[in-house]
Amino acid sequence: MSAKTVATWFGLIIIAVIVLFPIIWGLRTSFGPKSGSVELIPPFKDNYSPLIGRGLSSYIKNSLIVALVTAIITLCIALPGGYALGRLDFPGKKFGILLVVFPLLPPTALLVPLVTYMVKLGLYDTLYAVIIVNLVFNLPFAVWTLSSFISSIPKELEEAAAIDGCTTAGIFFKIVLPLVSLGIITITMFVFITAWNNYLYAYALTQSPDVRVLPMTILAFMGQYGIDYGGLCAAGMLALIPPIILFLVLQKHFVSGMTAGAVKG
Amino acid sequence: MHKHKLLPYLLLLPTIAVLAIFLIAPIVSAFIMSFQDIPFGEVIGFVGIKNYRVLVGQERFYKNVLYTLEYLGGNIAIALPLAYLAAILVSSKFRGTVIFRTIYLLPWIMAPVVTAVMFKSMLDPACGPIPVLLEKLTGNSYSFFTNPTLSMLTIIVHSAWRSFPILMLFIAAGIATIPKELYEAAAIDGAGPWKKFTNITFPLTLPQVFIALVLITAWTIPDCEGPFALTGGGPGRSTEVLALRLFKDAFINYNLASAATTGVILIIIGIAIVVAYLHILRGGGK
Repeated sequence: MSAKTVATWFGLIIIAVIVLFPIIWGLRTSFGPKSGSVELIPPFKDNYSPLIGRGLSSYIKNSLIVALVTAIITLCIALPGGYALGRLDFPGKKFGILLVVFPLLPPTALLVPLVTYMVKLGLYDTLYAVIIVNLVFNLPFAVWTLSSFISSIPKELEEAAAIDGCTTAGIFFKIVLPLVSLGIITITMFVFITAWNNYLYAYALTQSPDVRVLPMTILAFMGQYGIDYGGLCAAGMLALIPPIILFLVLQKHFVSGMTAGAVKG
Repeated sequence: MHKHKLLPYLLLLPTIAVLAIFLIAPIVSAFIMSFQDIPFGEVIGFVGIKNYRVLVGQERFYKNVLYTLEYLGGNIAIALPLAYLAAILVSSKFRGTVIFRTIYLLPWIMAPVVTAVMFKSMLDPACGPIPVLLEKLTGNSYSFFTNPTLSMLTIIVHSAWRSFPILMLFIAAGIATIPKELYEAAAIDGAGPWKKFTNITFPLTLPQVFIALVLITAWTIPDCEGPFALTGGGPGRSTEVLALRLFKDAFINYNLASAATTGVILIIIGIAIVVAYLHILRGGGK
């Protein structure tokens, strides 16, 4: 091996350690006592079963509802919008660039007015409010990404279908939809993970324990149970399962989907 | 073809409606609220620029701004070089680099509150491996959550650890577009690895570095999830960045006028970032 190869592997491994150490420590702690142990392998303690007594399963259910419904609604709204921007020509199309810049606006700053809106709509302290706000902050990115996927489909395919007498709707469902399945996967996964992970919107828009989502529960545990790191890390590990599974299964598509815009830019 | 005239707008209608009602309108509302008196959530009336005067008159506000700049600067200083190094490493043509790229992306897909729990358990003065190890090495004790400097360092490192993966992806995408012939030509001219980096890789990835800079700035300034879960702004107010101040004003102390005013300041900063970003996209990065 050349010196360069050795240096490359050395660097790769060092960064992997930096990335993995906190995760492995969290996993270790989730099987350890409440506090006060620094051994690499602490005496075993089951911190997972007591979580069910603390109502964790209903919070997981709330989180799943929020993440799934947000992902599905985002997709239903973003697909037609992405098709219009990616394929059709119309006056005002250039304002589509706003979709790239909306995600740069600070969500924190918009939460105060959004809470007052939700109160007026009677949606405050419901999962609907959490879903709507998650949708709003994911939609611009979803529409933009889908439009760039759709614009990369060769136009000839659609023209050929049109000549064969296919309607616009027929073209969309028979030609476009199958070809953008990668984009759809990327978006669904991205929105699911983002909505699953977020506690800010739920914190602002809900109060009652029965509409609590998982990340907010962990935050509440932090205050309530002090330094019960065993229980906190166990809850944290459970919260990691869906994003990590989704990511590992779909990461190849995901990486190309996410960076498609960067190279063009 | 005339049916196509309306079709694009119909297809975009749901998108436009959602964004107009829940994104554009709240921006306008935030501006209006920042000129109102809103004790306990009830709007009493317009008070002109009083909210801004109160805010700007506070020493706390200047500290919030200062801590935000420290948070941002520290984040950029750690995440960007780390992301660049990681991007170069995962771009090398070895078998196995894909596995490393997967590993490196993990922090980015994890919930901030979960990574905050991990960092807290790792930095706990009694049972955290980092303080215990540092104490063995230096003989001094390190209390990460009662020392203001160490607390700031903690929220910075946590945030940089979380955000470097996505920056790495963008930079690696830039590296992948560099034609191989350039490196071959440079090798024929006798250029070493460092020369190749300074003359080819770095200049050609500058657009992606700029995009990474804009993105990390846009994400770090309004970030309150990490700091709130890690330190809650403490000890004292030594890690109370502007976004966290807003969050506490709005949802813990119910000082909505102050929160809306801070929000407007964040929105203005956000728009400035947007303008910079558009400038880069429109060829500033060429």
